[in-house]
Amino acid sequence: MSDNFEPNIVAFLCNWCSYAGADLAGTSRIQYPYNIKTIRVMCTGRVNPLYVLNALQQGADGVLVSGCHPGDCHYMEGNMYARRRLGLLKDMLEFVGVDPRRFQMSWVSASEPHKWKEVVEKLVGETRELGPFEQFQRNMINW
Amino acid sequence: MVELDKLRSTAADTVSRDDVKYLLGWQKGTFGYRVSPCVVEKAEDTENLVFSPLCMSNLSTYLTLAEKLPVPKGEQPDDRKVALMVKGCDSRAVVQLLTEKGIEREQVVIIGCSCRGIVDLKKVGEKFPEPLDTVDVEWKDDKIVFKLPDGEQEVARDEVLADNCLVCQYPNPVIADVQLGDEVAPAENADDAGVKEIEDFSLEDRWEYWEKEFSKCIRCYSCRNVCPMCYCDNCVLDRLSPTWINRSVNYSENTVFNLSRAFHLMGRCIDCGECERVCPMGLPLGKLNRKLAEEVRKKYDYVAGLDPEEKPFQASYHPDDQEDFIL
Repeated sequence: MSDNFEPNIVAFLCNWCSYAGADLAGTSRIQYPYNIKTIRVMCTGRVNPLYVLNALQQGADGVLVSGCHPGDCHYMEGNMYARRRLGLLKDMLEFVGVDPRRFQMSWVSASEPHKWKEVVEKLVGETRELGPFEQFQRNMINW
Repeated sequence: MVELDKLRSTAADTVSRDDVKYLLGWQKGTFGYRVSPCVVEKAEDTENLVFSPLCMSNLSTYLTLAEKLPVPKGEQPDDRKVALMVKGCDSRAVVQLLTEKGIEREQVVIIGCSCRGIVDLKKVGEKFPEPLDTVDVEWKDDKIVFKLPDGEQEVARDEVLADNCLVCQYPNPVIADVQLGDEVAPAENADDAGVKEIEDFSLEDRWEYWEKEFSKCIRCYSCRNVCPMCYCDNCVLDRLSPTWINRSVNYSENTVFNLSRAFHLMGRCIDCGECERVCPMGLPLGKLNRKLAEEVRKKYDYVAGLDPEEKPFQASYHPDDQEDFIL
């Protein structure tokens, strides 16, 4: 691992809370690491685990799924389903030997730009420590 | 013990009912330890039915596998029932299908057979190489008797049972119209040694283990085809647009394929062990599924395939679900 490794993190943000929260962080001029590549989804409940696995395959070093706090979901219960499914995805990844810090979930509401900054800083710091993800990345295959 | 005469007469009675289309059962195979699934349409054909430690196949797969042809104009659809014989695990598959509304209760007649565990042919093959002639195998107390051409052999159950049967907690059918055989006690040791073994590894060792296993996969999709829970009309593996999982066979795609299949079975897998049995490359798929089933049971207090009225695990939630992993 070289010293100047910059992690590449894919973040799936819910349209109603976390995306707005990240947006507010921007308009409030709160500085957070630029390693985050955001993808806006309408709800965390629509994040298919294949998205997470695919992101890791295609070169992400970490994946973040962030949405509304439980009870605040725009669609009433989408984040509740996500919590159940993606929590177990995390367990499964850990069972096959992927570091659990590679895949994180967070609740960030539209009014929490400071929490967003904390989450991103924590994530980037951890992933930088872990180094590049090389376990089942596609381009690592050496024929 | 399920008596064969009783089994055959029950099957004959069921097949001769007017509202039953056919019966799915097991019959003697053509060589060695093989027992094959069969479709019985006439009462006299029930003479061939067997129930032994070799009846591995989970017949509930055929409930959703049966082709539904369009009904010609002016004809009534054939809505007669399908009768099937089930072991403990197979009955949970039927319940899980009912939970998911994959089938209707009125569509099936369930003949439940209490099961004392089926054998793993790989383990048996190491002890007694498979002969050409068919071999009868029977349960006898805590042993399994192999009637080989050169004399009978008795082996302790634990030595030849399939991995999932060693930890089986539901040997008796949880749903049945007709129940055959006495009740069997569940396995004493519910902890899966294979899963524990991997949990004790460090993260690096776990990945080393799974990378080796997943690299073996040849993507024949046998596991999907045999799985009673894999009955989507439009499977994500067959979809080309978008292609989430490439068809190329390498450890990267194989990993994602096997993980996504395990994920789709999360809270649904009833641990019949079919995927592991049919896998030509011997991947320990059961370990992955049993690990997830264990997590679901421990953290969410849910066991698949017990109550047809319950909501499916992945399509329900509880406000107090654990969220200690969330930042």
